[in-house]
Amino acid sequence: MPPKSSAGKEKDLGDEDEVLQAVILADSFNKRFRPLTVGKPRCLLPICNATLLDWTFESLALAGVQEIFVICRSFADQVKAAIRDSKWSKPSSGLKIVPIVTAKETFSPGDAMRDIYTHGIITSDFVLVTGDLVSNVRIDEVVREHKARRRANKDTIMTMVVKESGARHRTRSRGDSAVFVLDSQTSECLHYEPVTGYPPTTLARIPREILAEHPEVELRYDLIDCSIDVCSVEVPSLFQDNFDYADLRRDFVYGVLTSDLLMKNIYCYVLKEGYAARVADARSYDAVSKDILSRWTFPLVPDNNHPGGHAYEHLRGNKYIAKDNSVVLSRTCKIGPNTLIGAHTSIGPEANVQASVLGERCTVGAGAVLRNAYVFDGTHIGAGAVVESAIVGAGARIGDGARVEHGSLVGDGVVLGPRAHLTKFTKVSRRREKKQADGADADDDEDSELDEVEASQDARALAPVIGEGSNAIVWPARYPQDEDEEEDDVESYNNQRLMRIGDSASDLELSDPGSVTESESDSDSESDASSLRLSRTSSQTSAPTPSAASLHTLQQSASLAEFDAEAAASLERAFAEGHAVDDAAVELKTLRMAANVPLRRVREAVVGALVERVHVVEGAAAQRKQIADIVARWGTLINRIGGVDPVETVEILQYHCARSTRLPLFGQLLAALYQADLVEEDDIRAWHAKPEAKGEQLKPGPLKEGVQKCWTVGRMMIAQFDEQESDSEEESEEGSEDED
Amino acid sequence: MAPELQTAGHRAVEVLAGKLRRRQVVGSREAALETVLVLRQVVSRARFSNINQLVGIIRDVGRRLSEAQPKEHTVGNIVRKVLHNIREEYNTATRGTAAAAAPVRNVYSISKFVLQGQPRKQHVAPRSEATASLKENDPNDPDSFARGIKPVLMEAIQDVLDELETVYDNVSKNAKDHIHSDEIILTIGHSKTVEAFLKAAAHNRNFTVIVAETGPSYSGHEMARALSAAGISTFLVPDSSIYAIMSRVNKVLLGAHAILANGGMFAICGSLLAATAARTHSTPVVVCAGQFKLTPLWNLYHDYGALDFADPSSVLGFEEGDLVDKVDVVNPYYDYVGPELVDVFITNDGDHPPSSVYRLIKESYDDEDHEF
Repeated sequence: MPPKSSAGKEKDLGDEDEVLQAVILADSFNKRFRPLTVGKPRCLLPICNATLLDWTFESLALAGVQEIFVICRSFADQVKAAIRDSKWSKPSSGLKIVPIVTAKETFSPGDAMRDIYTHGIITSDFVLVTGDLVSNVRIDEVVREHKARRRANKDTIMTMVVKESGARHRTRSRGDSAVFVLDSQTSECLHYEPVTGYPPTTLARIPREILAEHPEVELRYDLIDCSIDVCSVEVPSLFQDNFDYADLRRDFVYGVLTSDLLMKNIYCYVLKEGYAARVADARSYDAVSKDILSRWTFPLVPDNNHPGGHAYEHLRGNKYIAKDNSVVLSRTCKIGPNTLIGAHTSIGPEANVQASVLGERCTVGAGAVLRNAYVFDGTHIGAGAVVESAIVGAGARIGDGARVEHGSLVGDGVVLGPRAHLTKFTKVSRRREKKQADGADADDDEDSELDEVEASQDARALAPVIGEGSNAIVWPARYPQDEDEEEDDVESYNNQRLMRIGDSASDLELSDPGSVTESESDSDSESDASSLRLSRTSSQTSAPTPSAASLHTLQQSASLAEFDAEAAASLERAFAEGHAVDDAAVELKTLRMAANVPLRRVREAVVGALVERVHVVEGAAAQRKQIADIVARWGTLINRIGGVDPVETVEILQYHCARSTRLPLFGQLLAALYQADLVEEDDIRAWHAKPEAKGEQLKPGPLKEGVQKCWTVGRMMIAQFDEQESDSEEESEEGSEDED
Repeated sequence: MAPELQTAGHRAVEVLAGKLRRRQVVGSREAALETVLVLRQVVSRARFSNINQLVGIIRDVGRRLSEAQPKEHTVGNIVRKVLHNIREEYNTATRGTAAAAAPVRNVYSISKFVLQGQPRKQHVAPRSEATASLKENDPNDPDSFARGIKPVLMEAIQDVLDELETVYDNVSKNAKDHIHSDEIILTIGHSKTVEAFLKAAAHNRNFTVIVAETGPSYSGHEMARALSAAGISTFLVPDSSIYAIMSRVNKVLLGAHAILANGGMFAICGSLLAATAARTHSTPVVVCAGQFKLTPLWNLYHDYGALDFADPSSVLGFEEGDLVDKVDVVNPYYDYVGPELVDVFITNDGDHPPSSVYRLIKESYDDEDHEF
């Protein structure tokens, strides 16, 4: 039962009287935050002293979402407990939160979506977000827009929320971004090209058809993907149908947009106001923290609407100090701007805290320096210690005089000895006291990794790093075994470097196209230029996407042969049993999906079958009538197979005729197609002008002769067109048909 | 101790608290209206057997709401006002039975003069139907007190609501006494009260209004549009020229977000600029505000002189990318305008100088309610 009208926005969604549902993917399906996430899920990491999940809930509550499904995998018990104990599960919050635990075998957002499908929980359009979202966006407006679009066009399946930011914004991930191709008028997303920071992506391939079909196209490389999607009910089932979709963007969006079978549309909603970003890695953790502290997320700021329910006082220079007078600041300590200090924290004399976040119950010793540091609850920073651009987990103890240099991540409960020195980008976590023999509650895969790390520790060599009396283990900077594994580009080591906190990655050669935009003041000219360049590159590639096809090169030849046979049989059956054109088209699409063949192949099969269907009979009029019958009955099928390309159709017809005994019928067939409006005059001219049409590249032989004969027929036809035009504009097209 | 709130009233309170926290209810009048409606709901469903329990319930609601959004002062003001009215009704209704308590309240002593204040205006005639059967803490029928007194209480709350609904009319009813023909008035921001005031004055007078743009919200644009639509000769000027044109201005007319006990006020950002410029030119500064904005607090944010800080996006676009990391933006929403800069407050209940605001506050609210 939906809760009583509460979140206020229900009225606006009004007449439809539907509960707005949201799905949170609480698991991140990657390990970018390790070792902070060794003992807890990422969505329970605190940012500005409230867990990411709380920020996400608040973002959704703000938008008037009433029912939330939280999909959790690792540490599901902790997530469930956190939800149970939070203020959100109280009836007065107006939210209904249902945690759903997926199987351990869920390794990607795609798997999670398939799980959602099997659960059958989604009843209407829903909002899909990740469990690490910080946003003050009015999602309800996006939902309304999505629904309006959907009423107009049933094939609109998704609206992605993106935020304009400029190419080099701190909150914009450099390692995992994308080029969006949008229709300027409708903001339909026409193409999505994922971009990795390293190896640098220099080319974006944009299918030719997009530029042909849309008069005005925007290429955007300045958008932050907020990973807020308004999805239709079909989306989980599409994941179910395409079991190889793993990532929401790189696989699903890319796949849907490049597929000429699905015919689904995806739109973008470019945020004009409001803030939305996800905490995907340590670098964005840093950026989002800063955005919160400098109030970009207003009214979702610590002193106003803190999701964790804490109260902070906002002081000059965006300093936030817990309100309950429990913070002890020494008289001589210095608190810099953009700092948040949790309740019961005490800061010693001469300590210097700049642009940092301190959790609750922390103690900072005398003379310690925290700069750009994120310190979770209950941590002790020893006297004279220096922590810079680092994240320190809950309950950690940093010894006196220790140094934690930038980019380091210190796990929960780690003890670093006095004068320990963590060099740049070191990751340390706590050594487990006793190995659990059964490992029942821990993730097997994670366990083995931990074991490996533990085994590799050399106590003596590490002593100066972690200090005396430490319980820490140092994680290797990179995992050698990973290089053998088939690894995602995005997760590769060098690309990951772009996601580390405090890493400028200046030694990596990045040809970030963002730097190009900077030098060019006029963004219009930039997009024009790149579209030209991009269109040239795409014209060299064949229309179907090369990357998708290349995956299956091995199976290709086998499946091609199979496809031909199947398609012929299917069409034969359709002709014989008199199926509807639509049914036949669906059957062909299914076949094509199963065999993964290019569209041209399907067209060849259809055209071939049509030509063979024509019986050679005596008498020109009888012959013409027969052809006209067949084309009228089945001709539209050529355009129903998932793409319209009349020039190609003519070319295929030509080659098929040249090969078969029905060569003399070519002229009549072409005329019939023309009359049925399947090919236009311009298409015939375009075909005629192509070198392939003349058969120039062919070796001399019967095929070439046939092709040339057809070409001659075509020339005659064009001559007729010309004649007709000069004769009179008025003359009907039937006239030309009769003269033929 | 306040008994557990009934679920329906409780939910209404939580919903409003949520909206206040999320800034879905903004603006002093809107917040005030929502608060009255919630209080009416709470009181109508509340179960209590003596006045203290009821007061406890309402204070509880007041605390919750004002904690949710301490910057919307009118929420607390309305709760105080309702408490004040309820006590008054109660005293009137129970004068017969609680005669012993009443004289104590009305005895004057110099030592308690400041604490007690002037005799309250007993403008409400005793409502006779309730007086007869009121008996507190009746063990046989604990609800009898609530049943007896509720009708009068609802009327008391309705009075507050009526006051809020008629506030614009009442503020502007004397507009023509303040604005004279051929005057040049400067205003800033888009205050509904000021708008109503100027429109009312335009019925009788012919004058010119200069509206400052009021960056970064540029609400001055709306104000200028609204005024010129009403046929008032209007100029829109950038904020930077306020000082330059002040010598031509006869009067500065400001709206207020909250009026503080010392006679200062919080008003839209830019008001301090206008008021200071007016002071330099000895131009009178007139503030139009309903009495529900009277707040028994002093300036809380000495550190800034401002109350609330909005997001930087209206000052520095998020799409500036590189700059965002390097620039700290402070975007205050309200200015604190001190009492020395204001000449008169025109309220829905008479015109008052800043120096007597404390007096009004004492009359409007009970002292024990200043903290919930």
